[in-house]
Amino acid sequence: MAAPLICPQTAPAPALFSVRGLRLSFPDTAHKPLFAPAPRIEVLKGLDLDLPRGQITGIVGESGSGKSTLGRVLVRLLRPDAGQVLLNGQDIATLDEAALRPLRRNLQMIFQDPMSSLNPRHKIWRIVAAPLARYANDTSTRNASAARRDQALRALERVGLDPSFGERYPHELSGGQRQRVGIARAIALEPEFILADEIVSGLDVSSQAQVLSLLKSLAQEMNLTIAFISHDLSVIRHLCDNVIVLNRGEILENGPVEQVFAAPQSDITRLLLDAIPLPELDDKWFD
Amino acid sequence: MTMSSTLNIQNLTVSLRSGLPLLRQVNLTLEPGEVRALVGESGAGKSMIGKAVLGTLPPATRVTRGQIFLRGQALDHLNAAQRRHCVAQSAALIPQDPLTALNPVRRIAPQITDPLTRIHGWSAERAQTRALELLDRVEIRDPARVMRSYPHELSGGMRQRILIAAAFAPSPPLIVADEPTTALDVTVQKQILKLIRELQKEVGTAVLFVTHDMGVVAKISQKVSVLFQGRVMEDSTTEAIFSNPTHPYTRALIAATPSYADPARSFSPVPPELIAQMKSKIAQEEIL
Amino acid sequence: MADVSLQTTPRVRSGRRNLRLWLPLAWITTLGLAALFAPLIAPHDPLYQDLFLERLPPFFMSGTEPGYWLGTDSLGRDVLSRVIYGTRIALCVSLIAATATCLVGSTLGLLAGYFGGWWDRVISRLIEIWMAFPPVLFAVLLVAVMGTGLTSVIVAIALIDWTRFARVIRAETMVQAQMDYVDSAQIGGARRLTTLVSEILPNVLPSIVALLMLEMGIAVIVEAILSFVNLSLSSDVATWGSMIAEGRNAIHFAWWVLLFPLIALFLTVLSFSQLGEGLKQRFDPVLQ
Repeated sequence: MAAPLICPQTAPAPALFSVRGLRLSFPDTAHKPLFAPAPRIEVLKGLDLDLPRGQITGIVGESGSGKSTLGRVLVRLLRPDAGQVLLNGQDIATLDEAALRPLRRNLQMIFQDPMSSLNPRHKIWRIVAAPLARYANDTSTRNASAARRDQALRALERVGLDPSFGERYPHELSGGQRQRVGIARAIALEPEFILADEIVSGLDVSSQAQVLSLLKSLAQEMNLTIAFISHDLSVIRHLCDNVIVLNRGEILENGPVEQVFAAPQSDITRLLLDAIPLPELDDKWFD
Repeated sequence: MTMSSTLNIQNLTVSLRSGLPLLRQVNLTLEPGEVRALVGESGAGKSMIGKAVLGTLPPATRVTRGQIFLRGQALDHLNAAQRRHCVAQSAALIPQDPLTALNPVRRIAPQITDPLTRIHGWSAERAQTRALELLDRVEIRDPARVMRSYPHELSGGMRQRILIAAAFAPSPPLIVADEPTTALDVTVQKQILKLIRELQKEVGTAVLFVTHDMGVVAKISQKVSVLFQGRVMEDSTTEAIFSNPTHPYTRALIAATPSYADPARSFSPVPPELIAQMKSKIAQEEIL
Repeated sequence: MADVSLQTTPRVRSGRRNLRLWLPLAWITTLGLAALFAPLIAPHDPLYQDLFLERLPPFFMSGTEPGYWLGTDSLGRDVLSRVIYGTRIALCVSLIAATATCLVGSTLGLLAGYFGGWWDRVISRLIEIWMAFPPVLFAVLLVAVMGTGLTSVIVAIALIDWTRFARVIRAETMVQAQMDYVDSAQIGGARRLTTLVSEILPNVLPSIVALLMLEMGIAVIVEAILSFVNLSLSSDVATWGSMIAEGRNAIHFAWWVLLFPLIALFLTVLSFSQLGEGLKQRFDPVLQ
């Protein structure tokens, strides 16, 4: 569990996701005139990016940078206004829900708040088994449901949770354990891609380190492509192969972490790095 | 432990009604003009200390042991009204969540000036002048306009600045800052930390700074209390904590904090054996 | 810290909560048995008039006749027997009308709250228009058009009160629809309707049950009101409402004719609402 989170140098890999000219806007209800439609705020302003297969790409930015919106477009919880989202060469930007359904087993997500992302009325094993049941061909025979339960319990074991957790409810677990359940649910279908949206920001440092090293080792074992959204550049430096820095819906940096952290292109990135309080004494930090 | 300490907490034990202790015999002192960080993970009781001082403990809890001296005055010798008055006179709070800490239906101005006129007996003009002065000091442009605004018209960072201005306005001897930057972006966090540090030096206020972030501890404080399950594991200067931490838990907390500047260092979770060991030690002491 | 206090409060309250569940349940079971076995339990025919025995007082007063425990009304009919037979109408109306109301209102509320868009616009406007009608007038008109009788009463209640469910369930559904577990179901390949039924519905169900119980109480009252203004059932059927209406004329010298059906009505309505809250807490794994 305490495996070091050092990123090995990897050769450029073909992209799982290729995003071109991605635009998205939301209606600005705060400034809606009384008798006219609300003006629209552009959240993503024409993004081009690639997510290399089998690698972890960090997406970082301050609140309002559009990082979560970008993530939700990748798993198509949101539909973009314009642009292409190519998954293995297929444009999924405009597919409807029925066309997306067979693709979804490959596009999983781990959420920021493990409490609200786990249905409080369902037992843990049911939460993990639910996606399995939806993609199973043999529906509702007793054997099949027992098999899915076993599969769910195996996924729990894989994230370091004893199968006895299967019979519990989400509120009976600690924050770190809940986030492991979130990971178990995401990997149960053995997807190609996982979106991890601020998955450690609500956790204590000790569980944070555990969850991150778990994610890292699962990514290697299962050859996962991961988009890791975070506001914490230190975490991204430790976990990710590549990093994309977003600011107000535009890409400031895009490249391997070593390169971006050693020589950031943008002043804003440098400001972001300087603002991080590192756990070491530094009298000149405020100057 | 002199009478000149701004805050002196001795053997403070706070428990739930069911008997479960949230703080276990906490000792700490805060000298005038000093910043002490209270650091620990969730459930360590770090916020409870501030709440015990300010008299805002949740209804299901009570102080079962120990004493709190605020500027030499033993708080538990006072009745409820005297205590409220004494605390309001000498202490202020910078809360965690700037979005809920301001009353959404009132303008900013009275929310800053009310305590000044009501508790500190200032005239309305003096309170108004001071509020404008402080808003200017926390780098809010056009303070007069902001004073007339409602909270929802302002950003989270602006609201946290206003709360800081409100806390420092009466130049209180003590400020409890309860995770004041947790909800903010890092760039805003740095500005806010800088403001707190500067104002604290100007006004000479002592600050009890609650945080879970060892990085923030390193930057803002001179003294540190490291808490685990309501017990102080290590009480030392910030310098000593980072150059030569004595308690293994302190070392583990620092090791678990990632640093982009040091990617070669593996950042590792707090070892479960250490946590189990500390828990059993606390349980043993509880029996004795 | 909040976690700790949340875990302990229900334990403190569990005793009271159980009483809240079992007392109403006992009363409603009693009513159910009384309704089922009315011909066996009732000491007299509820419709048999004996003008020689008019306005007999209940058993604890002087001048009673043996066998007439709660006295007789101005036509010499046994009050106890009429209350027992009235239970049949009260429970029948409350069960059928409340269930129908619940099904209509909750379904519309779930659809509006989850699908939003046109669903929400149409259903919300419908609710607003519906609620602009004065309900009692609406009921009186409906029964006047459809003619008196049990069916009209039930239809009237369902048509008037579905908005109560639709409004509350719509709001709760909208809150639940914002939760990440709903997105998570979609990520997991669930169809929209599946998500609504298997993810959201279980979370809204405790509220639906509480409202259903409340509605059962309200249905009893509405039936009584309609009986009171003679728009419910023909006067040769004993109902609590018609008993109260008739007892009103003799309130100064035969108050028991009015009092006993009123007590039955009061206890029943109270029981339903308490049962609703009790059930809501009982079947909520989060509150446990």
